[in-house]
Amino acid sequence: MRDLKHRVFFERLLDDPKNELTEAALAAGNLALGYSCYFVPEVLLNLAGCFSLRLRAPGIADTSIATYYMSEKTCMYARSILERAIEGGYNFLAALISTETCGVMHRAHEHFEMLDLVKDVNDRFFVSHFDAPFVTKDYALAHYERQLKKHLLDRLAETYGVDVSEEALFAAIEKHNRLCGVVSEIGAFRKLPNPPITGYEFHLIELVSECCPHDLILPFLEETLEELKTREPDDKPPYRARVVLAGGENDDPAFTKLIEDCGAFVAADRYCFGSLPGREPIEVREGETALSAIARHYIETNQCPRFMNPEKVHGRKQYLRTLADEYHADGLIVQQMKFCEYWEYERMYCQHVMETEYGLPCMGVEKEYVIASVGQLRTRFQAFVEALETKKLEREG
Amino acid sequence: MRYYAGCDVGSTYTKAVIVDETGAICASIIRRSKINAEVSSRLAMEACVEQVEGLSSTEDLAYIVGTGYGRNRVPFAHENVSEISCHAMGVHVTDPTVKAVIDIGGQDVKGIAVAPDGTVKNFAMNDKCAAGTGRFYEAMARSFEMTLEEFSSLSLRAKNAIPITAQCTVFAESEVIALVGEGKAPEEIAAGIQMALAKRCFVMAKKAGAIDHIALTGGCAKNEGLKKAIEKVLKIRMISLGVDPQLMGALGAAEFARKKGGKA
Repeated sequence: MRDLKHRVFFERLLDDPKNELTEAALAAGNLALGYSCYFVPEVLLNLAGCFSLRLRAPGIADTSIATYYMSEKTCMYARSILERAIEGGYNFLAALISTETCGVMHRAHEHFEMLDLVKDVNDRFFVSHFDAPFVTKDYALAHYERQLKKHLLDRLAETYGVDVSEEALFAAIEKHNRLCGVVSEIGAFRKLPNPPITGYEFHLIELVSECCPHDLILPFLEETLEELKTREPDDKPPYRARVVLAGGENDDPAFTKLIEDCGAFVAADRYCFGSLPGREPIEVREGETALSAIARHYIETNQCPRFMNPEKVHGRKQYLRTLADEYHADGLIVQQMKFCEYWEYERMYCQHVMETEYGLPCMGVEKEYVIASVGQLRTRFQAFVEALETKKLEREG
Repeated sequence: MRYYAGCDVGSTYTKAVIVDETGAICASIIRRSKINAEVSSRLAMEACVEQVEGLSSTEDLAYIVGTGYGRNRVPFAHENVSEISCHAMGVHVTDPTVKAVIDIGGQDVKGIAVAPDGTVKNFAMNDKCAAGTGRFYEAMARSFEMTLEEFSSLSLRAKNAIPITAQCTVFAESEVIALVGEGKAPEEIAAGIQMALAKRCFVMAKKAGAIDHIALTGGCAKNEGLKKAIEKVLKIRMISLGVDPQLMGALGAAEFARKKGGKA
């Protein structure tokens, strides 16, 4: 398959949170708003004059200082974010919007305040924390909406004079939906029997859409979409099986590439930083304000294992089965960051339920934020692919 | 006669097996791995080829499958198959009654449930550290200033096992050195080490769904003390294979080569 025109450019954008598009947006006077969880509505960070930046710490080699503050038995993603902040890697942020979703990430964000990070170069920098609900009841939704207003919109308006009017929110939704539409359309190519895109390439695309200013990345995504419409895949797909990749935090395209190098096409991405959910358009229903529609959307589409109510618990498994069907996956890989407080339990439970109740072969992987040694993982992925292939051949007689 | 080969490039040893059209083993070799997987595979395969009359080089082999951690770097292999699938297949062709395998390799421990046709039904594998692996065992033998062979039989004389609390190879080595310094009986420390390894194997076997008819493979399978400790924690006797258990990965690879090459 011919290389994607912007592949190398997308890879370069992901080398550093402060990439050339971020710098261009900052030079134009826009505010960079950091976040690290789906419970923070990305759309609200893309009001006029602002752009969202989902925090990553690419290339982090050592987290000693963050580990001193947070202990070694905590999620390495959270520690990596803190370490990068201590190194000055997020000094360009205007604000960090945090939710009390993962306790450890919340602690990492608190350390931004406790250690006066970023503040020494931008005295208006603030960290704002808000609650995220554990259930999807009406009262929880109302609480979430109030939190969004008080701790996000009001803070942006008070500190930086950002326009948070109803019109501004509707404009942000429209802009957000346009980007989501393009990414979703690209992602839908993965449903094809012989897709013109790899899971790795899509992972790059989804990540740049989350880690670059939307206005600036959109033209490249639109161009990529047009390119894919005529891109000829190889005559025979190079994969021996197709999988849904699920789980917690995963912002490392090399991890997706490793799976694909072992013979499994990553057809669907249901993990933190993935597009499923994440790139569904926000629908404003009759009688809803823009903010209430946003709050409802992010609670309804949310697949986080933090939700405890039975509809969400069972719904998460059904969602994976549906994805496997839609994307023609033969199996499921559930990955989890070591010490992830939610996925550590969810992964085990998910593996069992998906295999026994939903008939989907499943493999669980516990990983670190930086994967230094891939040899054993490669063996496990390859063995899983070989097992999926055997099962497929048995089914086909 | 056409010949088929499997080459298992492990982290500590490289193994090669050549089989004929019927699947009978014609030659085999086990050599210490070099740092370079390509060199290791070439040396092992050349030594194996020399054992078969009528073969003069690897090019005379009809089909070759690479396996083991260095499987991607076997230059003469037609394809590679994971060692998990190869161990299952190797054991299956050796003894079709085996339903599960515990493979204790140089850098990992695997539990593998084997389907009736020799394919993998399920597997579990430690993929983080050297705890419970051949490397761990080598480090422990080093603490006693013994060869692996001497260390393997040491625990057979023990009346008790002194528990080793550390799972990490580095910490366990320190713990063992401290126990030796305290004057504890070496055979009882060795029994404690083997029990720690056995428990690790128990976890992998159970995670993979192994219940009965279990065989041990890998270099550590030749360790009598460890075998007895595993039998004790699993409360069943391990199946003795008629072929060197360290060769199972290479044999499975050779069998895959025979199946695939035979069709070609």
